[in-house]
Amino acid sequence: MNAVMISALYALVAIGFTLIFGVGGVLNLAHGASITIGAYAAYYVTSAFGLNVWFGAIGALVVPAAFSALLYAGVIRYVEDDPITVMIMTLVTSIAIEELVKVQFGTQSLAVPSLVSGQFHVLGGIQVNRVLVFALSWVLIGLLFAVVNYTRTGKAILATSMTAKGAALVGIESDRMYLYTWILAGAFAGLAGLFLASLRTADPVMGRTPLVLSFSIVVLGGIGSIRGSVIGAYIIGFLETFTQSYGSSSLTGLASLVVLVLILLVKPEGLFGREFTE
Amino acid sequence: MTENSLVSVIDPREFSVRTWIGLVGLVLLGLAPFWMGFLYGGNQDLLMLRTVIAALFFGMFAMSWDAVSGYTGQISFGHALFFAVGGYGSALLNLGFGVPPVLAIVAGIVLAAVAGLLIGIPALRLEGPYLSLVTLVAPIILMRFFVFKSDVFGGELGLSSPDPILPTSGFAQATYVYYFVAFAAFVLVLVVLLAVTRSDAGAVFTAIREDEDAVAASGLNPAKFKIFAFVLSAAVGGFAGAVFVHTTGKPTPSQLLVQTVSIEVIIAAVVGGMGTIVGAAVGGIFLSLFRNQLSDVHATLPGLGIDVGSLDLFLFAFVTLLLLFYLPGGFLRWGIRQGRRAIGADGAAADGGKTPVEQVRESFRDAFGGDRDE
Repeated sequence: MNAVMISALYALVAIGFTLIFGVGGVLNLAHGASITIGAYAAYYVTSAFGLNVWFGAIGALVVPAAFSALLYAGVIRYVEDDPITVMIMTLVTSIAIEELVKVQFGTQSLAVPSLVSGQFHVLGGIQVNRVLVFALSWVLIGLLFAVVNYTRTGKAILATSMTAKGAALVGIESDRMYLYTWILAGAFAGLAGLFLASLRTADPVMGRTPLVLSFSIVVLGGIGSIRGSVIGAYIIGFLETFTQSYGSSSLTGLASLVVLVLILLVKPEGLFGREFTE
Repeated sequence: MTENSLVSVIDPREFSVRTWIGLVGLVLLGLAPFWMGFLYGGNQDLLMLRTVIAALFFGMFAMSWDAVSGYTGQISFGHALFFAVGGYGSALLNLGFGVPPVLAIVAGIVLAAVAGLLIGIPALRLEGPYLSLVTLVAPIILMRFFVFKSDVFGGELGLSSPDPILPTSGFAQATYVYYFVAFAAFVLVLVVLLAVTRSDAGAVFTAIREDEDAVAASGLNPAKFKIFAFVLSAAVGGFAGAVFVHTTGKPTPSQLLVQTVSIEVIIAAVVGGMGTIVGAAVGGIFLSLFRNQLSDVHATLPGLGIDVGSLDLFLFAFVTLLLLFYLPGGFLRWGIRQGRRAIGADGAAADGGKTPVEQVRESFRDAFGGDRDE
């Protein structure tokens, strides 16, 4: 049961990561930083202004989206032809964000209030908060799926991911599509950060584990495929929960990384990969 | 490549200006313990010397990265893996089995070379971001494994210091001895890597970076050379890591394994001049010293109330961004070009004047089907 819920969260993170890679062709290693920013934005809104956690959720949506947009428009746009520089810069950015969060909020874990309190009295009691997080994650994933497949902008994003040149020929501004994907990815990661913080706690390096898991999920599902990410998230999520409950908690992350390396070696295009050619 | 006999390569009369500059710099560096006392009074010079020792090791790390990534264009995002394998391997042999440090270092080199083989073989199948992902997660896997087997590897805290490479007494003597050990290791790494990269093998490395298909078409097996580059680089990195733990360093994740180490190494090599070895060495030394100085600054940023010292990584990142933008060839190439212009010896570049960063960029574009070229 735990695995089902946490997997939905992982899917939320991985989708943003795969969008940026599939459309822009770059690995955004600052994706974990968006998670952290989302969680701390929610924390700041709820603790400093004393507002309701739902206002915190707005903060967790807007602030990481703005950060992501700024990162793309201010830095990545100029170096996007050079994936190595992008990787170095986003990695360094994420370290810089971690440092800033440490300086501003300290290294200790902080609690973000639950979205709703109470328990469902089924299956030995489940927190309503968990169920809500799960449901919201799926609503968001569904929304994204609908937007990408059925709206004009979504189709334009999809077209850019297939061929930027072809998309440009039919009048799609690829730069704007890249910006959209970065904003979407930032917002999704931010909300995932809030959800993670409300299920557990927030700390400056909280974005690292989901980011590393996203690598595995995205590669497993096929880079650039939303459906693949969701399925990949569930496989990895169950694998993680399984190793944690039947192996040892210090094995966290090890199994999924081994899966990542194996997939890259055996079937680099992943389960639903579209265009990887050697 | 012009045909050079060994005699003409090591004949001082044939040296160019920049070779002399490099040699003088190296000699000055080697004599640092003698002139540093004049610059810093009291015990300050010993502390400064320790900083320079750390910088020398960092220079070695950067050179080892440059040997594989700068030359063949196979960008490794997790070179710390090799430093850690060398350092931890050597330390464990020494601590657990009482192997003398010198032998333990040799074993560390072998272990790191094996690790290089393990990373190098997948590298044959993967390209671009996919290879980067594998190299990125390899040290994370090792770290998780270290945490899992904390009783052997010490987990997050690392191991205690193994025996020093040479017996010393007192802080001052130890510092001087370690300095010369570190310097000797630095020169050894520099000479070995320069010899390899300036040889025909080095020419093939560069050719792989520029156009792998052309290398294969001329009857050379790129796979063989890539593996060789990975193993060489890993062995050098392992050597540096192993000597490091037996002198001033400690076998801890924060010094050898964390992601920051891998990234700083890349930044150092790129900023110094990717694909030159010397550039990586200089970049490594300077960046290490620069960061050290920066973290000692205890000024407070006006208005924000944030200590500059705690922002050292942040500022460092900013400077790197600017350099990547404006000097993609690194400081060394820029310096050589300025120097050539000054002495009026500016000739045509054999490779069309492309920097390695640009070449890697092109091969990455190829990996994406060449769809996004302007």
